[in-house]
Amino acid sequence: MFYSTRAKLLAGFLGVTLFLGAVSLLAGVHLIDRNVRGEALTHVRQDLNSAHEMYLSRVRQVKTALSITTLGFAFISSVSERNTTDLVLRLERLSRLAELDFAGILSEDGRTLCRTGPYAFPGPGARGPHRLAEAVLDQRVPLSGTLVLERDFLLSENPELAERARITISGGSHAGTDGVRELTDGMAVAAAVPIFDAARLVGVLYGGILLNRSEFFVDALRAAVSHGEPVKGESVGTAALLLNDVYIATNLAGAEGRRGLGLRAAAAVQEQVLGQGKLWVDREFVAREHYIAAYRPIEDMFGRRVGMLFVGVPEAKFSHIRGQVLQFFILITLAGMGLAAATGIVIARRISAPIQWLIQASQQVREGSLTPDLGPLQKSEMGLLQKAFGEMVEAMGRRRAASELRIIQSEKQASIGKLAAGVAHEINNPLTGVLTYTHMLLRRQDIASDVRADLQVIAEATERVRKIVKGLLDFSRQTKLDPEPTDVNRLAAAVISLVENQALVKGVTITFSPGENLPRVTLDRNQIQSVFINILVNSLDATEAGGHIRVFTAASLSGEGAAQEGIEITFADTGCGIPPENLNKLFDPFFTTKGVGQGTGLGLSVSLGIVQRHGGHIRVQSEVGKGSRFFIWLPIQRRAEHESAGG
Amino acid sequence: MKVLVVDDEPIVLKSCRRVLESEGWEVTCAPSVAEALTIIDHMTPELLLIDVKMPVHDGMYLMRQVRDQHPGIPIIVMSGYATSETIKEAEGLGAAIFLPKPFTPDELAKTLHSVAHGPLTQPKGETS
Repeated sequence: MFYSTRAKLLAGFLGVTLFLGAVSLLAGVHLIDRNVRGEALTHVRQDLNSAHEMYLSRVRQVKTALSITTLGFAFISSVSERNTTDLVLRLERLSRLAELDFAGILSEDGRTLCRTGPYAFPGPGARGPHRLAEAVLDQRVPLSGTLVLERDFLLSENPELAERARITISGGSHAGTDGVRELTDGMAVAAAVPIFDAARLVGVLYGGILLNRSEFFVDALRAAVSHGEPVKGESVGTAALLLNDVYIATNLAGAEGRRGLGLRAAAAVQEQVLGQGKLWVDREFVAREHYIAAYRPIEDMFGRRVGMLFVGVPEAKFSHIRGQVLQFFILITLAGMGLAAATGIVIARRISAPIQWLIQASQQVREGSLTPDLGPLQKSEMGLLQKAFGEMVEAMGRRRAASELRIIQSEKQASIGKLAAGVAHEINNPLTGVLTYTHMLLRRQDIASDVRADLQVIAEATERVRKIVKGLLDFSRQTKLDPEPTDVNRLAAAVISLVENQALVKGVTITFSPGENLPRVTLDRNQIQSVFINILVNSLDATEAGGHIRVFTAASLSGEGAAQEGIEITFADTGCGIPPENLNKLFDPFFTTKGVGQGTGLGLSVSLGIVQRHGGHIRVQSEVGKGSRFFIWLPIQRRAEHESAGG
Repeated sequence: MKVLVVDDEPIVLKSCRRVLESEGWEVTCAPSVAEALTIIDHMTPELLLIDVKMPVHDGMYLMRQVRDQHPGIPIIVMSGYATSETIKEAEGLGAAIFLPKPFTPDELAKTLHSVAHGPLTQPKGETS
């Protein structure tokens, strides 16, 4: 399957961003959970302590109020005198001021003298049933604390109180298995103070606050712990008092909007707090939602664990923060992905656009174009690739043109060679006849001078034919090479000395600059010598008097394919130069710019054949009016293929 | 001096006879190798002037026959199209000299003279 680079890049970018986003999200959530929850637990634990302090101070208030009352002179005398009417008035005032739900006075023998409520004056036989008063009578010291009040006591004190204490237990949401039941006992914060009249015990003052359904008390607790912070429009803090495991006073919202009275704490809480007397701080589902909750035991004044104090903060407060952070992380991740996608698209476009151009360009090359459209050049590595591609195609084109030219050249030579050989062979026989009879005629003394002149013309023309045919034969003759290691400098020097006289006569100087430390080249001396002569004589023919020819040799690598070591011999003249249109035809057999009878047009053709059979090549640079340069390159070691091409 | 000229080209035979007779040679001509062999059996020539490329049997064949049956007869090989290999082969078979076609009467006469009498009096003809 084909996936575009663009898609891959995009997928990569998005994948990385998504991965990082997911990781930071997980890490963030984990951190928040740990820290916020830890914080919340600590917070709730502190709240629980505050609530407990408040509870205890409530106990102290009750005790203090009672104690102060027992110190009043008028009060003491009323008790001593059993002035119950006055005492009831005083009790009611006390209850109002100290917010007591019940209060009463016992005689020193334990009978109830009077009390608040509908049964203010019980009969002489009525005894205070509660152990608190009895303990005070016994120990003669003030006592205070939590007290569980049985229904009988409540009924005897005030039926309204009994009614208030009655709470239906809803065991549904909690571990309770004993079904729907009713709680009739009350839990109270109570105190009892002995009344002394000049060191004589005259009675006991008792009083207390019933905690069942005590909205005021729980709201005060909540206000103390929550500092009034609202979360999502609701109050944060939740506080509650439990008698055993039953919620008897709370601001928890229960079913149908009522306060969550009658709910039961989880069995685990009950076990740990009531059973073992330890704190319980954890996440708990209460009523309708999850809370970070804390419970501590409440002991009555006799040291029994009779109930629990609860403080809780809805988890929603923390999950709200968590949700916000989560949202923030998701937003960042999405933004990151968007950014990555945009970057990916831009980068992919910058990478893939030149690739598309290159693909199209290579298609163009395949279809034969050597000048493909590469599109705008990039400034990156892609640009280098584009440039390299362009250069490669260009080089390919040059090489193809060069090799095509070479193939055409050698095909031309081969076919012309065969033709020349056949023609030469056939012509030479009749030519022998022509030469013979012309010369035999010329030998005769008895011919007229005009006839002799005519015969002379025939002889000369025939001589020319002979030369042409000889040239043809030289050209076609694929003479086998007779190679031997040769000092090219010495060979060139020998050739120059052969031509030097001719140059001197013409007024052309020839200079030779032999390259130093040139290796010997394996070549056929005679044939290469004829090549040198041919080119040097050509140069000489092209150069006017006063011009000069420079010959130099140098080590050189072949410029094509696998570079091969070789030697280059350069013939540079200041002659007339070669017009560009003639450069291609230069090595064609019979191509000549010289006058009729001056040259056969085979010299360069033969020379090229010889050099090629040596595995070398000839290059020409020329500028009309300035001169020409012929470069003959010969390999130091011939390759095997060239050997077989000769002969 | 008797010379046998062998060539399948009548004009070459005719030219050679024309030149060499004027130079005083006794010239016999053979248009093919087979005929040449018959003639050699009857008259022993002092010199052979033979072409290389001929139909049926070529000059090389003739030279091998002569070398085997009549060693000692000098041979001049002539050809209109000679490669260095042909020349080498001819020399290997005992050819005294190689004469490229076309040639002028002078060239022919000098070549024969030098082979018959040695190159003391006259310089050698063209050899390649």
